[in-house]
Amino acid sequence: MTQSHDNPAHKQALTIVGFLCNWCSYGGADTAGVCRFKQPTDLRIIRVPCTGRMDPLFIARSLILGADGVLVSGCHPKDCHYAVGNLYARRRLEVLKRMLPFMGIDGDRFRYTWVSASEGQRWQQVVTEFSEQIRSLGPNPGVTGKSAAAATA
Amino acid sequence: MNSDLRSELHKKAEQAWPDLELLIGWQAGYDDLHTTPVFIRDSAEISKLIWNPWCTQNLAVYVAKHFAASSGKDDKKIGVCVKGCDSRSLIALLQENLVARERFYIIGMPCKGIVDLRKLHALSGAARILSVQVNAEQVALKSAAGVLHFPLDEVLMRKCRRCRYPNPLIHDVLVGDPLTPRTDAHEAYNDVAAIERLSLQERLAFWQGELDRCLRCYACRNACPLCVCQDRCIAETRDPKWLTQYMHLPEKFMFHFIHALHLAGRCTECGECERVCPMEIPVALIKEALNKITLELLDFEAGLDPQRVPPLLTFDAGETGI
Repeated sequence: MTQSHDNPAHKQALTIVGFLCNWCSYGGADTAGVCRFKQPTDLRIIRVPCTGRMDPLFIARSLILGADGVLVSGCHPKDCHYAVGNLYARRRLEVLKRMLPFMGIDGDRFRYTWVSASEGQRWQQVVTEFSEQIRSLGPNPGVTGKSAAAATA
Repeated sequence: MNSDLRSELHKKAEQAWPDLELLIGWQAGYDDLHTTPVFIRDSAEISKLIWNPWCTQNLAVYVAKHFAASSGKDDKKIGVCVKGCDSRSLIALLQENLVARERFYIIGMPCKGIVDLRKLHALSGAARILSVQVNAEQVALKSAAGVLHFPLDEVLMRKCRRCRYPNPLIHDVLVGDPLTPRTDAHEAYNDVAAIERLSLQERLAFWQGELDRCLRCYACRNACPLCVCQDRCIAETRDPKWLTQYMHLPEKFMFHFIHALHLAGRCTECGECERVCPMEIPVALIKEALNKITLELLDFEAGLDPQRVPPLLTFDAGETGI
């Protein structure tokens, strides 16, 4: 995964998976791009119809398989395009966030937040903060153990 | 004492029989240490019913299936024997409208605890246990080496030692007198708290060590009374394809995440997943941790009030802090 960048701070590329809702946060990220706000490049965005579509298992699987971080972002509560999708989502996501450390996976590698389509500035801030946080945590060891090594050998 | 309760159970089952098409209970297994479920369709078989500290199976696991299959002809009901913990599973099924209360006749068994066979074998050190008897608070175990006595408390299952609901929370008739709970909510999550005190690396190492033994036999899922989509379980479907046939750690972690997260806010802590695990992995701990979270975060315990909706199947627009 090592890539050569000019900037020494970006020597090691991170894999951060971003699940963004179609109606708010995806638009917010687009706004940030259109406004040419400078953003870290570690985020790979997956567009979902709504945060209500987020199965907590998407996040669990990403982190188990070694993604360095997972960011989920949607419409602000009570502003959901489908009225209540993010109200279901926030309960599920919070439960997952609290459960991950019990299994030995750092809960700080996962963040969920709300960014509206007009909040390009806020999106820039969220992405920058989260990328910095993941960078300080370092690469995710995943759950690979001896049998995983044997399976791929 | 046990024979008194057994005859009381027989008497109450006989009384209820005219209204029943099926009665699910426990019967003697192939030796003193084992019981098996019995499905009674003929009143002559009621004498097979037993009740003792070996009646380990959670019979609520059969309830959803038989409810779907039963005709309900002549308003006949399905009878089922439940311990305190099993009754919570039944309530959880009611909470999700998977079964209808009026189709069941529930025989409640106040329970002092179920014996953990693995603990008994480990304590006795005997290769073969010839017979076993329970008198009040003592277990008398006979092996080739002689007779050994243990306090009942020492050989109970982990779930029983942290039991808060020895009395069935839902029943049509009770066999025996209600008991006082062993622990309170405060102590119930001590095992989870012990793991939470470890560092993150230690916890990962702990689960890597435990889950590495997993065979993915799915016995934990099959024994779970609330794993109600068994024929369509995403652990086995090809579309969506969540898991591969690789026997490496990520797949094993993933399977247990699937099982645990699908039970978040639903698990009633009957401990069947842990009991049936052939590799003795403490899988129930994962669900207990989730229950601790839903209790603290959403103030919900599964399987207590049939009217309440499990928290992850609903929402509250007014809640703050998440």
